[in-house]
Amino acid sequence: MFTLTVNSQSYDVDEDGQMPLLWVLRDTLRLTGTKYGCGIAQCGACTVYVDNQPKRSCTLSLEIAASSEITTIEALTGPEADAIREAWIGRDVPQCGFCQSGQIMSAVALLRSIAAPTDADIDMAMSGNICRCATYNRIRAAIHDAAETLERSAG
Amino acid sequence: MAKPFTNIARVDARAKVTGAPIYGADKLPQGTLHAAFVVSTIVKGRVARIDNSLATNLPGVRHILTHLDAADLKSAGFLLAGGYGCQNSFPFLTDRVAYRGQPVALLLADTLEQALHAASLVEVEYLEEAFSSSIRSEGVTTIAQVDSPLPQQLFRDTVAGDALPAFAAASVTVDATYYSPPQHQNPIELIGTVAVWEGDQLTLYEGTQNSSALKFGVAQMLGIEPDRITVISPQAGGGFGQKNSLQMQTGLVAWAARIAGVPVKMVVPRAQLFHSASFRPESYHRIRLGADAGGRLSGALYDADAQSSRHDLFPMDYTNAAARLYGIPNFRGHQRIVQTDTQTPGYMRAPFEHLSSFVVDTAVDEMAAKLGRDPVEFRLTHDTDIDPITKLPLTSRKLSDCLRRGAEIIGWSSRSREPGSMRGSNGELVGIGVGCGCYKAATAAAVAFLRLSADGRVTVSVGVHEMGQGIRTALANALADKFGIDPMLVEAVIGDTRGVPQHTTAGSWGTATAIPAAMEAADKLFAELGPRPLEELARRNLPHYDVMIERRAPGQPEQLAQALHAGRPAPFGPVYPEFVSYSYIAHFAEVHVEPTTRRIRVPRVVSVVDCGRVVSPRTAESQVRGGVVWGIGAALFEASEVDPRYGGFLNTDIAEYIIPVNADIGRTEVAFIDEPDPLLNPTGVKGLGEVVMTGVAAAVVNAIWHATGKRLRDLPVRMEHLL
Repeated sequence: MFTLTVNSQSYDVDEDGQMPLLWVLRDTLRLTGTKYGCGIAQCGACTVYVDNQPKRSCTLSLEIAASSEITTIEALTGPEADAIREAWIGRDVPQCGFCQSGQIMSAVALLRSIAAPTDADIDMAMSGNICRCATYNRIRAAIHDAAETLERSAG
Repeated sequence: MAKPFTNIARVDARAKVTGAPIYGADKLPQGTLHAAFVVSTIVKGRVARIDNSLATNLPGVRHILTHLDAADLKSAGFLLAGGYGCQNSFPFLTDRVAYRGQPVALLLADTLEQALHAASLVEVEYLEEAFSSSIRSEGVTTIAQVDSPLPQQLFRDTVAGDALPAFAAASVTVDATYYSPPQHQNPIELIGTVAVWEGDQLTLYEGTQNSSALKFGVAQMLGIEPDRITVISPQAGGGFGQKNSLQMQTGLVAWAARIAGVPVKMVVPRAQLFHSASFRPESYHRIRLGADAGGRLSGALYDADAQSSRHDLFPMDYTNAAARLYGIPNFRGHQRIVQTDTQTPGYMRAPFEHLSSFVVDTAVDEMAAKLGRDPVEFRLTHDTDIDPITKLPLTSRKLSDCLRRGAEIIGWSSRSREPGSMRGSNGELVGIGVGCGCYKAATAAAVAFLRLSADGRVTVSVGVHEMGQGIRTALANALADKFGIDPMLVEAVIGDTRGVPQHTTAGSWGTATAIPAAMEAADKLFAELGPRPLEELARRNLPHYDVMIERRAPGQPEQLAQALHAGRPAPFGPVYPEFVSYSYIAHFAEVHVEPTTRRIRVPRVVSVVDCGRVVSPRTAESQVRGGVVWGIGAALFEASEVDPRYGGFLNTDIAEYIIPVNADIGRTEVAFIDEPDPLLNPTGVKGLGEVVMTGVAAAVVNAIWHATGKRLRDLPVRMEHLL
């Protein structure tokens, strides 16, 4: 039995300690916003925060996750998250949408750490999130839009 | 002149930025068992023995099913041969193995880990046979398509005039051969099924482009009436052709659920999909292009060999698109199917047209250079209003406008003509190339249902599937415009067999089929209720008013259209009784080649499209950007690697199957001609989703020639080809 903190709530999870966090989230806790795209940490669709750091939940065991605070797309809040969501809609970022939970988690983490990221910062931070619909240009533009929105409201 | 449609936000954007449970695999009913396949490690032969003794008693393992349990299962056939499946080789029907990675056992367990672990402990003994993995392997069977049992009206040689003597008499010729490897669609959403039985009623949740094929095909597999089956796919997480038919797991998951008496869920791991789902076949192409003494293209001979499986003849259509890019009066296109030991290939975005435009437009580029002509000007002189093959008029063709506009945007007049003559600020070799493409404007038979409710909402149901192309938004936009309401008041029941018949969404006919059908239904409602339908509804004291229409593609025979009601494809075109219809695109690519390492970068692409009227500008632009990236991926990155000693594909994950990532993509600029096609349908829509990829590889490779002087013909182009 593990006690897992997800989205500020505590859960008793009776699963094998080696179960990837991705399945605990999706199947045990029924938080299906985090997606399964590859299972080998190559596509980024399973990105969550572990103690506020983006990590791929498909290769993180329950045993290790249990010692941290987990945040998923369902509970992504705050000014950076709002700005990213609105920019995503404004720039028509999502197409099929399947990779977008992961994209957004990575993008919000970037803005929380670098308020005015350059294209090189974006390439680096977003390099682990693959989009087969190829929404990359709009992701980049939307991150810049969100950064500008945040700067305007801060200033 | 119709006014352009409003640029609205995608109607499902908010759901997609909040992680809403809109995909098939987001379903997990209480008590669901998880399913996993055991797949063959041989390419060809028989299953001699399956030993599941190590797996069967593991905690949580509930059932292990093999071909020995499947006496009551039937094949659902091949979609392109009167059936529903991605191939006519369904697992468990016999003990034969037809391809590496073929499912040979199915395990059900309480958790996914238990199922996967148990599957790894099942031991299978095989009787192996020699196999042929690729077109150039020994032991393949080669069949000229024109000599095959395939319907000749569709698949015979493409012929206009007399190409052999025209080529023989040409003053200047180009003779080139090309290669394209197998490639895989790799949408991020994996193929998977959740099957739930309630009594004798079955519901299937699966991301698909063809919910009808799932319904009718699974019914055939299980020997039950189709109307006992409901398929629900409100969103597919990318399709790109891989999800356009009944897949290998769907019927088996339903069958397993019936046996187990509880819901069953399988999400097929990506590595397995490289073998059990379809892919772009390996192909070789040769073009012989001739120009007369006046510098006009006078003849073309186009030959293609493409891979198929042993159990199906996957039909090719390279030559029809090749013949339509320019007005070449003498043309012969000849295609040969080469049967190898793989799963049956299928449709991967612009399945033939990506390559036919690559072959034709790099050869045309080479011809222009040989003739000392400007590449854009040379292409402009080969425009045509008449279809070169049938001599019927083209419904619309704005390729010249696309070329002129694209040339202006990229700054073509600043391009110096000689290869290697342009340099970047870091000493890199700069090339600017042009590549054109075309894709057939097909449409399908359709039923559309429309309901206007007293609260002002509009519900539409039509046969189409949302997979990210934005059809939900296009439907909302078109109906919002028609009714004068907010697009968010339009609800679309699509990808759902509880609505009207759900024709497969593929071949770029989705919007061109669904929008005219929805609009015809709306017109009928207005005809019956008058110009202020809500007021009339109130006057008649009705809670809602329904209409239904059925339409066919222009000139489509009734018999072909009726296939829609049997869950079978009913597309028509691009050759219609009185005209021929294609979409067109021109791309201009700027390429930088690092002088020492020969690393290739594409910092800028300009694309101008003729797809008739643009129904949803924002989502249409997104489609073009996506297509450009796909073209760059095909030109520079993507290949499914085959080792002839082992067969199958080696790089079965997206670490080693290289897909473009953010850092690979530079600036993409998009423009639309946005002139309604006057003949194809009342809305003036032609297809968009695949024409967007055609011509990109040619533009990139022509730009590489401009930068380096090297003509490259094997894809993907890599640095080492430039050393």
